[in-house]
Amino acid sequence: MLFHTWPFLVFLLVVLPGFYALRKTRLWLPWLTAASYFFYGWWNPYYLLLVVYSTLLDFGLVALMDHCPGTGQTTDGLARPIRFRFGDRVLKVAFVVSAAATLGCLAMALFGLPTLRPTMGVLSLILLLMALGALFRSRKIWLLISLVNNLALLLFFKYARFVVENLNAVFTSLHSSFKLSDPSTLMPFGFEYLLPVGISFFTFQSLSYTIDFYLGNVQRERNFIRFATFVCFFPQLMAGPIERAKHLLPQFHQFPPVRLQNFTDGASLFLVGLFKKLALANYLSFYVERVYDNPKAFDAPALVLATFAFAWQIFFDFSGYTDMARGVAKLMGFNLILNFNNPYLATGLGDFWSRWHIGLSSWFRDYVYIPLGGNRGGIFKTYRNLFLTFFISGIWHGANWTFVIWGTLHAAGILITRELERSAVYRERVPRLVKQLAVFSFVCFAWIFFRANSLGDALLIVQRIFTAAWQDPQIPALMLLLVALIWLYQFAYESRLRPLLQTGVVRVGAMVFMVLYLCLCASGGGAFIYFQF
Amino acid sequence: MAALKPLESPELPFVNEVRLRPQHWAVAAGVVLLVVTLTPWVWKKLERFAIGPDYRIPYALSKDYWLYEQRLQRASPTNIVLLGDSVVWGEYVLADGTWSHFLNQETGVPNRFVNAGVNGLFPLALEGLVRCYGGSLRHQKVILHCNLLWLTSPKADLSTDKEESFNHAALVPQFSPRIPCYRADASERLNALVERNVPFLEWVSHLQNAYFGQQSIPKWTLAEAGGDPPRYPNAYRNPFSQITLTVPAEPADDPQRGPLSPRHKPWSTNATGTTQFEWVALDQSLQWHAFQRVLEVLRQRDNDVLVVLGPFNEHLMARENLPAYRKIHEEIVAWLAQNQIPHWIPEPLPSVLYADASHPLTEGYQLLAKRLFDDRVFQNWISPK
Repeated sequence: MLFHTWPFLVFLLVVLPGFYALRKTRLWLPWLTAASYFFYGWWNPYYLLLVVYSTLLDFGLVALMDHCPGTGQTTDGLARPIRFRFGDRVLKVAFVVSAAATLGCLAMALFGLPTLRPTMGVLSLILLLMALGALFRSRKIWLLISLVNNLALLLFFKYARFVVENLNAVFTSLHSSFKLSDPSTLMPFGFEYLLPVGISFFTFQSLSYTIDFYLGNVQRERNFIRFATFVCFFPQLMAGPIERAKHLLPQFHQFPPVRLQNFTDGASLFLVGLFKKLALANYLSFYVERVYDNPKAFDAPALVLATFAFAWQIFFDFSGYTDMARGVAKLMGFNLILNFNNPYLATGLGDFWSRWHIGLSSWFRDYVYIPLGGNRGGIFKTYRNLFLTFFISGIWHGANWTFVIWGTLHAAGILITRELERSAVYRERVPRLVKQLAVFSFVCFAWIFFRANSLGDALLIVQRIFTAAWQDPQIPALMLLLVALIWLYQFAYESRLRPLLQTGVVRVGAMVFMVLYLCLCASGGGAFIYFQF
Repeated sequence: MAALKPLESPELPFVNEVRLRPQHWAVAAGVVLLVVTLTPWVWKKLERFAIGPDYRIPYALSKDYWLYEQRLQRASPTNIVLLGDSVVWGEYVLADGTWSHFLNQETGVPNRFVNAGVNGLFPLALEGLVRCYGGSLRHQKVILHCNLLWLTSPKADLSTDKEESFNHAALVPQFSPRIPCYRADASERLNALVERNVPFLEWVSHLQNAYFGQQSIPKWTLAEAGGDPPRYPNAYRNPFSQITLTVPAEPADDPQRGPLSPRHKPWSTNATGTTQFEWVALDQSLQWHAFQRVLEVLRQRDNDVLVVLGPFNEHLMARENLPAYRKIHEEIVAWLAQNQIPHWIPEPLPSVLYADASHPLTEGYQLLAKRLFDDRVFQNWISPK
């Protein structure tokens, strides 16, 4: 169900009044959970099982982690497991249940239905780890299970085919007849092998809770419904913003305050997002698709402008989604984090990443970059950590070499801009606008790899941009005009003209323009780009 | 550990400040409402369109239902409206070769008979057209054409389970009754319903149909004109200069229609031979039920309706197929008689006057008009009561 479609409006017209009608009861939270599950199940009800499974497991793992000694406390090493003493009834039960379930799953993996064997094999491994976790009273093992489980889900659904194809290509080049079978053969009951929409988002959100609990940053959530709502909260379930337990979970502790501002702010955000998606992103996509689907047929100007158009398309698409998500959440009184902050006005790549997909950037900063050592340990280690973080971020976006290169380019770019920013000349003498344009150009260059249909296409586009003839790109003037207006607006917003944009006349004028433009010139449907990640 | 205390009101940061306060919303909603309400109304006053010799809607604007409604509103209450599909509209003929044109000739009163047929229509879509855009027909005399072509197979009846794409999908019932071969998702269906019922959106659709080649303005700016390398002639044009406030009329010379067109020839010259039809039983036919509902709507609107059944091209049918056809034909006649609906059943036209299973050629329409005009039932029906 997409935000910009009529079924969503119908859904919202049912959910919202129901939510407010239940505000004086305890049912508002289950109502929200049910609505969120319905929202996800609309796409594919079977894959709802994944969300429920991931939620249940992480909820249970944190509960069990809570029964283990903290990181500072000592345990009696191997002696206790050998003596088979648990010291905690919950852990004892967890051990017995998971050990028995391990055996059951193992038996099914060996002798059960053929379509269930791979799933049971993996489950038995996770259950075995759980039994060990209970036996050793180890918080680390519980965390490890959460990591393994969530990352395994991601790896299997997102990357397995990519890995298998690449390995098979290697085998073929080595003249080996060995071939790995397609991951779809591992699906239980012959379910279709699809990339579950939003898997990268809900797994990361759920994972952040277990990691934060392990690190002592949040308390354990004892109410399963509340935790389930945190994982599957429908406005941000499909494409973020990726929320942290510390920010979102407390908002589900009591019914949010009912204010008129919830509706005015929510509607403002939603309509701005709708405009970004329907009027801008979808329009730009037509030109981008035309050029990127057949780059051989276009010359340098068209390729440059299509790349420029894609830069704005992905921004409008993703930030439009986020605005709508934040708007819908606000209509219910919940506040989601800011995910985009005029990223194309960034003066450095570090600055860019603090403005672009902020939820993901901060996730990688907190759970990858800092655990790797962050900027402690000297310049070499800092750069290594930065490089690894961006490399992983690239892979997170998709199973394709183009994403790997995109991430690597950003890693290289961030190292270069960090070095440049050390010099006083660059910091003080280079005009801000030049820096902004340089960063924007670099980001656009990297988008080529992000958008191209294959690595070959990406390289061809780069080559043609620098070598092909210059012919009329035939990009619609209306398209350029719209983008130019938005860009100018953003520049003005971050300049001394800001108070002018904050006047009521400009705000009302902008909103009226957006609504009427949407009615007159909306460019049809189309899913959000980030749903595929 | 950080305490998980409920937050009273965590900050909701905004970027770019398009954030409206309640009073701003009131003003914005007022302005939008005013524009949305007034624009279609003002537009009707400003825009010019030619009604042509008998109100026949230009082929390229077949899906411009807003314009269709405007044209019907222009018709006088004493006019007689011919409703139906491409048989009424005149698929193979020019404006001076249609059924309504020859009826006007017979009566000697220009524009007395209004061609309200639409190319590509069928009863399920006709129902939507009449319900949503035919309000101005109230109390008028209507000749409703019943084309048996839509019962010749489950596919034509739209009752197959296999997905089919068809014209005028926005007019068919979107949810109930269910059309099994119509597989639009819920969003498309709701969109069709909303567009039918919001005049401003109908008007937007009219703009797209009349001035932008049946596409949205953004798509129009990207329209391809062929060639190698392809050309995009609208890329640098100002889209708003397209809106000339004069709806394009049917081109005088349509190479696809009229006696000079290669399509305008008897069906038998195609050498396809006779055809076996898989007739759909009336009680199971979606199209027939839709036709009955159209009649019901017209009756409720106090229309004086004359149903014309056929003439279907019986020459094209395989001989063994005729009994099934006649059975359906008789059942329809019986139903019309039982419900006291005035009806006329024309004799089949000579084989050479059909272009296909149901469309007459120019001379066919002429003969049909003459026969109708000479018929006693018609004369009784047409005379003032």
